[in-house]
Amino acid sequence: MSVIPVRLGPAETKLIEQLQAVGASAEAERLAAVGLPTRRVEAYHYTDLKLLLRAVPELAEGSAVTDGSALAIAGAFRFGIANGRVQAHGAAPAGVIVGHTKGGVLTTRDDVVTRLNGAFAADALTLDLTGAVAPVIQIDRRVEGRAGHSTSSARIFVGDGGSAVIVEVYSGSDEAHLTNHSTFLQVGKGATVTHITVNLMSAKATHFATSEYLLGEDAKLRTLVINAGAAVSRTQVFPRFAGARAHADVTGLNLVSDGQHADITMDALHAVPHTSSKPLFKSIARGRSKAVVQGRLVVARDAQKTDAKLMSQGLMLSDEAEILVKPELEIYADDVVCGHGSTCGQLDDDHLFYLVSRGISKPEAETMLVRAFLAELIDPIEDEALNAALTGVIEGWLAKG
Amino acid sequence: MTTPMLEIRDLHVRIEEREILKGVNLVVPKGEVHAIMGRNGSGKSTLSYVLAGKDDYEITSGEVLLDGQNILEMEPSERAVAGLFLAFQYPIEIPGVATMTFLKAALNATRKAKGEGEISTPDFMRAVKEAGASLNIDSTMLKRALNVGFSGGEKKRAEILQMALLKPKMCVLDETDSGLDIDALQVVSKGVNALRDGTRSMLVITHYQRLLNHIVPDVVHVFSDGKVVESGTKELALELEAKGYAGFDGEKAA
Ligand SMILES: Nc1ncnc2c1ncn2[C@@H]1O[C@H](COP(=O)(O)OP(=O)(O)O)[C@@H](O)[C@H]1O
Ligand SMILES: [Mg+2]
Repeated sequence: MSVIPVRLGPAETKLIEQLQAVGASAEAERLAAVGLPTRRVEAYHYTDLKLLLRAVPELAEGSAVTDGSALAIAGAFRFGIANGRVQAHGAAPAGVIVGHTKGGVLTTRDDVVTRLNGAFAADALTLDLTGAVAPVIQIDRRVEGRAGHSTSSARIFVGDGGSAVIVEVYSGSDEAHLTNHSTFLQVGKGATVTHITVNLMSAKATHFATSEYLLGEDAKLRTLVINAGAAVSRTQVFPRFAGARAHADVTGLNLVSDGQHADITMDALHAVPHTSSKPLFKSIARGRSKAVVQGRLVVARDAQKTDAKLMSQGLMLSDEAEILVKPELEIYADDVVCGHGSTCGQLDDDHLFYLVSRGISKPEAETMLVRAFLAELIDPIEDEALNAALTGVIEGWLAKG
Repeated sequence: MTTPMLEIRDLHVRIEEREILKGVNLVVPKGEVHAIMGRNGSGKSTLSYVLAGKDDYEITSGEVLLDGQNILEMEPSERAVAGLFLAFQYPIEIPGVATMTFLKAALNATRKAKGEGEISTPDFMRAVKEAGASLNIDSTMLKRALNVGFSGGEKKRAEILQMALLKPKMCVLDETDSGLDIDALQVVSKGVNALRDGTRSMLVITHYQRLLNHIVPDVVHVFSDGKVVESGTKELALELEAKGYAGFDGEKAA
């Protein structure tokens, strides 16, 4: 077999150099051999990294300190990670044990973003949560200073019967950063968890984030990805249903404006019988922008009675906007209820006419309908301060339009 | 002569190359209630949509004056705040838009046009309660998304509630009676009659005479094939009911 050598671009060359510098020589060799994924790699079909990742900045220095947050949530308990380093924090709230670990937290998989995260991850925040954790746990991941390549990771265990609301905010100075963040979240038996990630990166940045979930018996999980920042972003969600009656509402929102490319990629594995999921992804695109939603549902041979419905909805506010949706069902069990659907269009003219016929101005009516489109994602967030903060992110985005 | 509330002059309208309104002439003076009766497909809803400013239609000629002001060049929202209100034949459901949020936005738009400030929440709650009092609007209906899951009757009552809240000067009611049982018809009619104040004008579009027993019009117009073919007193409606539309437009009864 002859191997055609891959032509490496400046971004790949830089990444290889950086991998060698941190001692990840195996990853360096792998990247040198295969390069970044192009559209020919199925999982990156709509997000061609070879094309989109033009340059890689220097590794971010770990000395930065940050206490600002891009998203203020009243009453939340805040952890900060700046340029990959976990910051000092106040006394943890009841039921929260804070620790550190070295290296990556994600399960190994054949995915370049996951691999790079594992190779560059240094200092990982660990949280062990037991019982009903009262305050919203906020993890702020920021990149300060000049353009930097920053990696961070967090491992969170929510104990059996516990409950927690966790929100992660990705932000940074207004520079062409490259970020790669990861979270491993284990939801114990009968535990109830909400996990939200909000990408508020600079419009010059390239942003990757991966959240992996492991759900035990009777676990209940709600997730929400909001991609509102970065020039190029890809947020990956990998839920694994490992206990009977585990359920997850996996949701996501791409908000893209002129010049932005945002990708939400889900790869869900229903590994055991009697689990259910309701993935719901929405995208709003305006200007010349691109929103991508990939949703893959894998149902293992043993996972009978899986109930999984994937839905993707797009709203296009301009003619140059693109919303690309790719659902994939891979079902090896025979007694399951699985499906997917997708809709994409503009605001409904009849809805608009009804509102304006009552005197509401057209721009206000449009905003009302956009909010209505998003209500399904935001309404289930029960914590009032968190709900208000997320609504603020959306209103901010709408106001910029 | 005082300016009429609504004056339609030789209005011609097409949809996709087909002429639907073929020279409508109609004058509704201030404070009067006029009825338009016509068979299905004669163009009644088209007329109401054109008045409200829906943009699927091509207006080839004619004028529409609201209190002396030509409204055909105005945006639908501008017409509404100028005092025109259309109660839809088929009010649509808008998921995700809370009914109360919608009502408040509509009321504030009207107030803004009059140079008034935004209404306070307690005043708004009071206004909605007042407007809904005689319409049997229960609070659970108002907690839902706009028209979502409303029964046919609830949708029609919600239209009248909006009308009572916004206090327009010209109300166009498109088949407000369709889909209503007798009890609901009485409730809706009572709501409409409560808004007759000697100044406000109404154009009540219907297919059946029975509505006009409850909302008694000053003038009845017979509408056929895109225009008004006859006008008269409320007895005309009874005559129409007895003879059928065929006696007026020469076409066979549908
Ligand atoms: N959007 C449309 N496109 C094409 N034809 C239409 C449309 N709306 C109405 N029409 C046609 O216009 C005519 C009048 O319809 P309409 O105004 O709804 O009548 P009415 O309300 O009196 O029953 C009918 O023949 C109908 O089929
Ligand atoms: Mg009609």
